[in-house]
Amino acid sequence: MALSLGFVVGILGVVILSHAAYSTVQYRGLLKIMEEEFSGPPLTVVAELLLGLGFCMWAALTVPGTFLSIHPYSEENRIVSLPDNLDFMIFNHRAKVFPVELDLKFKH
Amino acid sequence: MVSKTEETQLNRLENQVDNGGGGAWEYLCLVRKLKVRRSEKVLKYGLSILNDLKKRSSLGSEEWTLYEQVAIAAMDCQSLDVAKDCIRLLRKAFPESKRVGRLEAMLLEAKGSWAEAEKAYSSFLEENPLDQVIHKRRVAMAKAQGNISGAIEWLNKYLEIFMADHDAWRELAEIYVSLQMYKQAVFCYEELILSQPTVPLHHLAYADVLYTLGGLENLQTAKKYYASVIDLTGGKNTRALFGINLCTSAIGQLAKGRNKEDKESLELQSLAATALEKDYKQRAPEKLSLLTTALKSLKVSS
Repeated sequence: MALSLGFVVGILGVVILSHAAYSTVQYRGLLKIMEEEFSGPPLTVVAELLLGLGFCMWAALTVPGTFLSIHPYSEENRIVSLPDNLDFMIFNHRAKVFPVELDLKFKH
Repeated sequence: MVSKTEETQLNRLENQVDNGGGGAWEYLCLVRKLKVRRSEKVLKYGLSILNDLKKRSSLGSEEWTLYEQVAIAAMDCQSLDVAKDCIRLLRKAFPESKRVGRLEAMLLEAKGSWAEAEKAYSSFLEENPLDQVIHKRRVAMAKAQGNISGAIEWLNKYLEIFMADHDAWRELAEIYVSLQMYKQAVFCYEELILSQPTVPLHHLAYADVLYTLGGLENLQTAKKYYASVIDLTGGKNTRALFGINLCTSAIGQLAKGRNKEDKESLELQSLAATALEKDYKQRAPEKLSLLTTALKSLKVSS
């Protein structure tokens, strides 16, 4: 595991997000004790969520490295011919009249 | 879609198998994957595998796919006995199979007994009215009997239900082009381009049909589509380069009275001409003089 900066930041972002989730659950428990409505997470948790989001996104873009562009005309992508429509294949072509003399038998 | 690397691989395997090296099973798998129609070779090498007991048993359960492939190739090469034997074996192995029933109906088609094949297909469709392959076989049968208008009718009905089948759209476009119904062919090619915009061959065919139709707007659209082919193929498509030259000269001829001399169309034509000359110099230098005279005559008339 290469402990590059992106990786560390990514792990940090995940830890922040899980801490935010944990504090929200605790906050709800507190509200249940005080019998109040759960309108939304407290401001600190929202700030933590945004921070975690930022870290995770930055890490997700830096860790895989530079993106390579896909060329439609590179040798493996370049389409040379379309598939012969085998579903519509007809047997009524000139090989019917001039069959290839292969003399192949099925030996079973 | 056959890409360039796949094509070179196919040719290499074909040469290898032709010259006696091994690799017949690989070749057959590649042919099946790319859906190309190499019936003679498939028949020859498929039979060589199937007749050899050791090779056949080493295939395991894949031997039935090979039987099917060899049966279809045999029907294409008119070796109907081989096809009949393969289908008989398949029928023994899979007595209730629809797929084998389809092969049997195809054999009737190959023999030329159209009425019996039609009966077989109708009975299949009664059991399962949404079987795509049977619908397509019916269209193919109508085409083989010479009933092109019937084929068009069946194909249109099929496309009303299965609008996303681009093979069928392509088939319909080719039938319309063969009947010179270019406006309908244009519609079919538009459907193809909509569903597969990155395949340059559809753009190329569309541009060809538009150029054939003629008329100033069609020529301008055709020029745009030839340009998009060049964009998608990185300039490696010679036909599109020729297309641009022809379109520009035809537009120039039509619009002779109007003074809308756009510099960029002339620049595009000269760029295409230089690219063509470079291509010819590299690949066919003895024909370069023919090319230069042809291009010069196009420029003079525009």
